[in-house]
Amino acid sequence: MNKNHRFLIGLVGVTAVVTYLIWTGVSKTMVYYLTPTELLAQVIEDPTLHDLGLKVSGRVVRGSWVADETGGLEHHFRVEDLEDPSVSFPVVYRNLLPDTFNDSDEHVEVVVEGRFRQDGVFEATEVLTKCGSRYEAAPEAVT
Amino acid sequence: MTILGELALWIAFPVALFGTVLAFVGGRQQRGDLVLSAERAVYAVFGLLTLASAGIVAAFLGDRFEYWYVWNYSNRELDVFYKAAGLWAGQRGSLLFWVLLLAMFSVIAVFTNRKKNREFMPYVTGVLLTVITFFLCVLLFAEVNPFEQLPFAQADGRGLNPQLQNYWMTIHPPTLYLGFTAFTIPFAFAISALLTGRLDSRWLVIIRKWTLLSWFFLSVGVIFGMRWAYEELGWGGYWFWDPVENASLLPWLTATAFLHSVMIQENRGMLKVWNMGLVTLTWTLTIFATFLTRSGLIESVHSFATNSTIALIFLAFLGVTVSVSILLIIWRYDDLKAENEIQSFASREAAFLLNNLLLLGIAFAVFWGTIFPLIGEALTGKKVSVGPGFFNSVNAPLGMVLLGLMGVGPVIAWRRATKRNIKKNFFMPLGVGLGVFALLVALGSRQWMSLITFGLSAFVFTVIAVEFFKGTKARARIEGSAPPTALLHLVSRNRRRWGGYIVHVGIVMIFTAFAAASFKMELIQTLEPGESVTIESPFGHTYTLTYQGVSTALRTRNMEWQAQALLTVARNGKPVGSITTEKRMYLTYPAPVTEVGIRSTAFEDLYVILANAEDLGRALSNDAGGQRATFEVQINPLVGWIWYGGLMVAFGAMVGLWPSKGSLAEHRSKATPREATREPVGVTV
Amino acid sequence: MGVIIGAVLLVGGVVLFVLYPIIQGQWATLHRTSDEGTEADARKRVSLLALRDVEMDFATGKLDEEDYRALQSELSHAALKAIQEVEVQQKVADLVGSTATGSEALEAEIAAVRVGIAEGRTCASCGHVNSAGSNFCASCGEPLGG
Repeated sequence: MNKNHRFLIGLVGVTAVVTYLIWTGVSKTMVYYLTPTELLAQVIEDPTLHDLGLKVSGRVVRGSWVADETGGLEHHFRVEDLEDPSVSFPVVYRNLLPDTFNDSDEHVEVVVEGRFRQDGVFEATEVLTKCGSRYEAAPEAVT
Repeated sequence: MTILGELALWIAFPVALFGTVLAFVGGRQQRGDLVLSAERAVYAVFGLLTLASAGIVAAFLGDRFEYWYVWNYSNRELDVFYKAAGLWAGQRGSLLFWVLLLAMFSVIAVFTNRKKNREFMPYVTGVLLTVITFFLCVLLFAEVNPFEQLPFAQADGRGLNPQLQNYWMTIHPPTLYLGFTAFTIPFAFAISALLTGRLDSRWLVIIRKWTLLSWFFLSVGVIFGMRWAYEELGWGGYWFWDPVENASLLPWLTATAFLHSVMIQENRGMLKVWNMGLVTLTWTLTIFATFLTRSGLIESVHSFATNSTIALIFLAFLGVTVSVSILLIIWRYDDLKAENEIQSFASREAAFLLNNLLLLGIAFAVFWGTIFPLIGEALTGKKVSVGPGFFNSVNAPLGMVLLGLMGVGPVIAWRRATKRNIKKNFFMPLGVGLGVFALLVALGSRQWMSLITFGLSAFVFTVIAVEFFKGTKARARIEGSAPPTALLHLVSRNRRRWGGYIVHVGIVMIFTAFAAASFKMELIQTLEPGESVTIESPFGHTYTLTYQGVSTALRTRNMEWQAQALLTVARNGKPVGSITTEKRMYLTYPAPVTEVGIRSTAFEDLYVILANAEDLGRALSNDAGGQRATFEVQINPLVGWIWYGGLMVAFGAMVGLWPSKGSLAEHRSKATPREATREPVGVTV
Repeated sequence: MGVIIGAVLLVGGVVLFVLYPIIQGQWATLHRTSDEGTEADARKRVSLLALRDVEMDFATGKLDEEDYRALQSELSHAALKAIQEVEVQQKVADLVGSTATGSEALEAEIAAVRVGIAEGRTCASCGHVNSAGSNFCASCGEPLGG
């Protein structure tokens, strides 16, 4: 057996393993990126969307943020569509919010990641805020 | 000063361009005067870029808010330290800083090779000046000129993002940039070797220290970034598989692969094409990383307005350089054939090869995950992305095999290992590894991935410890010297090998810390002053934190207000000190910023975050009733080992970098005119 | 005005500095210099380092007697070959002196071929100088007569 064969066996073996890992990794963790309008429209046509990982970007509805500290920290707020503020949905999040998060006039843009429950509440596992290009030098606030 | 700097930047561009042409023409026609002139262009460009950078720094220090860049990243109240660091605070300045560092390394490369390796130098100079010219071109013509002026001078600047006002964040980008730019030197030598056709081991010898230097800075830079995230952004996390983080990891992975595979080429004359490819790939990834961090390409898919001119220019440049490199390798393919072949799977070559494949596999997975949003959108039209879960599930198994290989590599023989060799050297370390694993299982832990990692770490650590122990003993016996002296001689006789082992110990520590992260404890609790919260450490003891209240300061120099919560800490009921965490409201930033409180010990960090003071308004006015606050308390086991491990890695790399004065010098002692037997001459004798 | 003078001085200085070698006809050497290791030197160095490591591994007890003998003989052979090659080159160097350029370099190569023949390494049919210990020519494949 010559060297090329040995090299190739190793190469093919590792490539196969890496490909397998990437394939399963992608299918397990892929999330769809939607706007609130897209989410609310698509979920009616396709109820399986409730079971998928989703990322939804929008804006925090003014004055909608309530921090409930009875029985552990729980944040409730609504996220509206950037273009059409009449479309919004409720979000619940049980962790610390980024410092830049608020529901004042500043119109904080957020990306919420998680699942859209059957009862129409978005259960977020992660909330990112975007400060816009002014603070381009900072990576997105990661929570 | 600043106007002079701008002028210098404009002069640097034609000088670099002209120098590029001179270098290539000089190399092609073997014109020594043109080459000398091109080398002088390198010095001139460095001088000019130093002037330009000094101009930017002067503008920052002088609060020259008529410059867009200064206005956007500074204000009058900013610390002088951060003002000076404004050079690399944003995209525009950091591109200038990048090319300044590249010019600095180019000067060092040209200067140290002014009397040797002359065959390579015309094209080395040419390649370096090409890259410099490209960056200058971007700076001047892609609307990112740091000297751009505003129509009206502003009274005050917009201030630096408070998250960037952190010591680690100030030194993190320059360190990474040093790593990125230093790798251009090996790349230039690789291309020069291809162009001149001098493809023996000489170019590898020349670039050995350069690659290690670059790798050193990349490693340290990545660790600094983690440290910053841990303190400032991450709330107890240090790695988020964010595109920017991934981009800095990619060249580190391929450079690591190269540092290993180059040893196979040196020892066994194999993998020449592979190594050439790795150098090119690593360099490409350094440019990709620069481009990704400073163009906002990936983020732009979802958020930020992007400077698409820059994205296109960078992509075009990467496309051209990669194609040219590949064509050159194909052109010289016949000269890059292997001199030996792998004899056995059970050999050090095979272990190194597997190491290379795994590192590249990880790099590919990281790359794939990073650009997945782009691919996904292009293919399906839907916006998709993968999260940290993807990176962890792909990289954890690969990383664990890699970890195990670190224990195999040092003791397995080159060429082919016999069963006896394997038995003799693996029995004890494997026993230790399995013992640690079994012990942890017996203690009741069921975090399998972490436990296997701990077991593997123990195995690798034992292998390396035994290497040091036996080596020192043998050396002491041979020399008849005391163990410390023997150890010193052992290391200095083969710095690369023993330095490498030290690096491996550091990496093992870092892996251990990663694995320990799954034992992290955290809880969120709202407290009134006087109330306390108790958290149990995975090591068995408990911490009790008692909230003492918030003290506030209004209208400090650059802050609107500052609210600091004080908590006293007791370990198993015994007071051990206190910890503070605060919220700050900077004058120039729209949201409050959290400063976390960390209490570090060798085995764990107690980490406290002031999540939200219930009613900051009342707390600020020192109303006793308004001091209710919510805290997140974490215990991060072994997290400090990342930083200690990082120090170890840096130390090991420095051992390898230290100039050696060994008995087997790299240069020949006796003078010979040329490698006379290299080419046969058509003479009949 | 000051700015213009500064600019002119800067541009002038830079242009003069960069073009000086061309104007003055200063040439940088573009040839291999004497203190660089040749390929044979590199091979010699690598094989000696490997040999040293094997000795060390034996001394530490990592290799047992049998493995050590096998590896040692293999590496010694390689090292010897490399050393001979280096010596041949140095002999050549001594023949022509150490500052060969131009026609002297050619003579050095001719001398190399001569030394090669003296040691039975130069191919009789094509003139290629083979490395020591070769039985067949690496260039044309003809057997070496010795």
